Amino acid sequence: MHVSRVLAAESWRAAVESRNKCINALIAVAPNTSTHGPSTSQTKSAKLEGLSLAVKDNIATRDLRTTCASRLLSDYTPPFDATAVRLLRDAGASVIGKANCDEFGMGSLNTHSAFGPVVNPYDPNARRSAGGSSGGSAAAVAAGFCDAALGTDTGGSVRLPASYCGVVGFKPSYGIISRWGVVSFADSLDCVGVLTHTVKGAQAVFDVIAQHDPRDPTAAPTHVRKRASAAVRKHAWGGEHTDGDLKGLRIGIPQEYFPAELSPPPGLHTLLSHLQSHGASLVPVSLPATRAALSAYYVLASAEASSDLARFDGVRYGQHVPPAPGTTASTADVYAHTRSVMLGREVRKRILLGSFALSAGAFDNYYLQAQRVRSRVRSDFDAVFRVPNALRAPPAASTSNPITDIVAPNEPGVDVLLHPSAIGPAPPLPSLEETETGKEREESLDTYLQDVLTVPASLAGLPALSVPLNPRSPHGDETNSDIGEGEWPVGVSVVGQWGADELVFRVGKVVEKVVREMKS
Amino acid sequence: MAVLQLQLAPPMFAYRWPGWEVVVGIEVHAQIKSRRKLFSETLTSTLSEAPNTHVSPYDAAFPGTLPRLNPTCVKLALRTALALQSDIHLRSAFDRKHYFYADLPSGYQITQQYSPLATGGVLELPNLGTSVRVKQIQLEQDTAKSTFDRRRKLSHIDLNRAGTGLMEIVSEPDMRSPEQAAEYVRTLQALLRAVGSSDGNMEQGSMRCDVNVSVNRQGEPPGTRCEIKNLNSVKFMMIAIASEVYRHIDLIDAGGTVSQETRGFDEDRAETFRLRSKEDAPDYRYMPDPNLPPLLLTSKFIDIARQSMPELPRATRARLLDVGLTENNVDVLMAVDSGRDIGFDGEMKQGAVAYFDALAEGRDPKVVVNWMTHELLGQLMSRNQTFSHNPISVAQMGELIDLVQAGTVTGTGGKSVLRHLLDNPSSTSVHTIAEQLGLLALEAGEETDKALNDWCKQAISALPKEAEAARKGNERVLNKLVGRVMKLSQGRVDAIRTKEVLSGMLVQGK
Repeated sequence: MHVSRVLAAESWRAAVESRNKCINALIAVAPNTSTHGPSTSQTKSAKLEGLSLAVKDNIATRDLRTTCASRLLSDYTPPFDATAVRLLRDAGASVIGKANCDEFGMGSLNTHSAFGPVVNPYDPNARRSAGGSSGGSAAAVAAGFCDAALGTDTGGSVRLPASYCGVVGFKPSYGIISRWGVVSFADSLDCVGVLTHTVKGAQAVFDVIAQHDPRDPTAAPTHVRKRASAAVRKHAWGGEHTDGDLKGLRIGIPQEYFPAELSPPPGLHTLLSHLQSHGASLVPVSLPATRAALSAYYVLASAEASSDLARFDGVRYGQHVPPAPGTTASTADVYAHTRSVMLGREVRKRILLGSFALSAGAFDNYYLQAQRVRSRVRSDFDAVFRVPNALRAPPAASTSNPITDIVAPNEPGVDVLLHPSAIGPAPPLPSLEETETGKEREESLDTYLQDVLTVPASLAGLPALSVPLNPRSPHGDETNSDIGEGEWPVGVSVVGQWGADELVFRVGKVVEKVVREMKS
Repeated sequence: MAVLQLQLAPPMFAYRWPGWEVVVGIEVHAQIKSRRKLFSETLTSTLSEAPNTHVSPYDAAFPGTLPRLNPTCVKLALRTALALQSDIHLRSAFDRKHYFYADLPSGYQITQQYSPLATGGVLELPNLGTSVRVKQIQLEQDTAKSTFDRRRKLSHIDLNRAGTGLMEIVSEPDMRSPEQAAEYVRTLQALLRAVGSSDGNMEQGSMRCDVNVSVNRQGEPPGTRCEIKNLNSVKFMMIAIASEVYRHIDLIDAGGTVSQETRGFDEDRAETFRLRSKEDAPDYRYMPDPNLPPLLLTSKFIDIARQSMPELPRATRARLLDVGLTENNVDVLMAVDSGRDIGFDGEMKQGAVAYFDALAEGRDPKVVVNWMTHELLGQLMSRNQTFSHNPISVAQMGELIDLVQAGTVTGTGGKSVLRHLLDNPSSTSVHTIAEQLGLLALEAGEETDKALNDWCKQAISALPKEAEAARKGNERVLNKLVGRVMKLSQGRVDAIRTKEVLSGMLVQGK
């Protein structure tokens, strides 16, 4: 086992050395420690012995800098490991390096990074985006640098890059994976996510890190997790991807996710008809609050960002940039100067937007209104899922067994929702000039449509899994630059009720299997 | 000096500013006396500890750290709310108050702006026969401590205090004079100490006051209020209020208007100064804290807190008077009691009242309180010691009182034993000590009578002038002779019996 670990270490290192320069997926690589002997995991369960892992750079690692891809934090090494990292290390995984991302997780193309953009490894010569904000994590997996990567997903930041890079990306239910050690962007939305080659691989990583952590006050308590699993067992489809028959599986197709402006990705119709022919029912559903969800998301995420990032001011955290000598600066100016110089354009924009939304005159009309919309979004989802929401089940303080205290199922609800993960394949990377001036975000319709697909699940805290819809055949010829538009990866998302993460994985495996059948 | 006079002045203080009415409201920030901080497991600190030694990554707001509510802080705040008869909310919530300052590591303070722990309530001020309504009680974090080194032009930040739990107790504007404000703060301080939720130590900064003052001519609506920040002694608070009142009166008299301001207090010049105007008031951008779920309390939890409530000062006073102590006795006991150490996490340390209660179990309370106040406290005081230094256990003190009551040790002998115990603390039984010191009273009998006769004769021959005076009926001089006998007998004989014997001898000898 010891020998194989060292061999594994050498193989990823070679891949990183030869290809990271052009892909820019990793912004820090673990020092070569293979001579130091086996890891400390020997005494532990070691479920993931030998797993090579990339960690998004907004997740704390005690031995590698954690910069959040920001100039402001370029020298920061945390004194602790994030809980998710610690659990994975304890299970035998080795961290190969830190993954590039949009600064503090804000962006969807991974262009807002102090370390430069990530290039989609599917065809580096084409210089397309890897997606964001967890672009480095998705690209590291897609490029074969590692078996798995941790990302974070606040409004789609794991699912979108997974779709663009042709890998599996999972955003769990909010509160299932500890956020201890994750540098907050928007506390009520941030989730640690997993990127891997296969659904099975994602689930294996998820199973290790889906632990209640007393250090995360937003972590779902164990009894609520159990209540959610019990509700799924009792009310949801109970089949497996190995069953030939998908009878009883009810898949919801949300109409708001298929606007007239958007042509569904090639392969989606085939997938749906295959699923149907195997016995699954396709059910058109409506989530009417979707349109309002986007505005609500931007208000809430920005408001929280303005608060969560307040500590990065060059006095308490981050590199201090003194005002020009001779200028008389108020205390406020001193803070403002560092933040203006050291934070990127997208981060500054969201902080300003969020500060406005929280200001005394705007709070009611923006922040509180957005919270009301958020609760409508949750209700929308609760109305379509067959499994009741374990977070809304009556509090079981008086009953001795909270797990049996499950409200009646919502019939005829659906088990999961299914929709494209992205409105299209990876777009080309903007030129440097476009990034600086912000031109690249001006195709507003595309941006709007893209957010429709990922943001509602974030607002409702639901588990969502993106599975490649057109996987490349194993060991495809990566040097071929003549890739047609239709061959670029695109993912399909499976979304479930809160706490139904296991069901989402099960359906994800079905999708993965059917997609393979489609290819052959 | 002027302040002391004000303090002693009768409640008719309006003579200072006839024709004017003063309205005062107070926000008290009291540090919760918990072992650990409000949202981390870091131990709380005292001022004497080295800076930045009580800091965890969360306290310093390291990126990626998260808060975890310390339930003990909630329990102690609940005690305060119960003591103030407030309405406790089964659901309260935490909000973030944002501002940029180096003593606020995360850039926001976690407080309870929108849904506080408790609202309403009242604090009675028995000495003034009035009461002050409480508006609300909320939990929040203390900040770090920043000090400015003028010489080196450097700010020093000490994170020891950062994240310590605070109770913000907001009064209604019910006070009408600096004296009422002072009495409110003192009474609140005693209440917090009594329930163990805070040590209320203003000198040490564990209790701080912001005061709102407005002034209007009699019969006119209330004036514009100004807030004076961070007053850290009752004395300075009174001076600050008075100075602020005069400032307002001068402004209005001169035809001007008072503008709404936040002001500081200059202790050396005894006057307030402007910190910022209403226009400069910061927008704190309050936001519900997305990390902290609502604080949900069950009525059962509140009931448990209610049942574990220590006795409130008013009840203690009533109870002590009820067992027959004088007002004076009670004042002494409670004054000594209020100086006791406040234990962490609501642990009630034994003070003078508890000591008295234990002693009075099965004994005459009046005898007990005399021993405590006259002898024990008196001896401690003459040694420059406080009650917390008392090395004599309740059992020992009780035994001593019992021995004296039974005549096994005389009153004089008992006092000697007490002094001995204070000088040589031990856990030996008092009887044994009295025996070792030869202080057991001589048992009635022929031998004792003979010895007493001998000592009386010795006393008379040693003090012939006094004996002569006593013979002529001088009571005071007779006592001197008794004292001599006591000395000769080392306090082992009964004083009254001695007096009888001496009188007999002197009459006979006539």
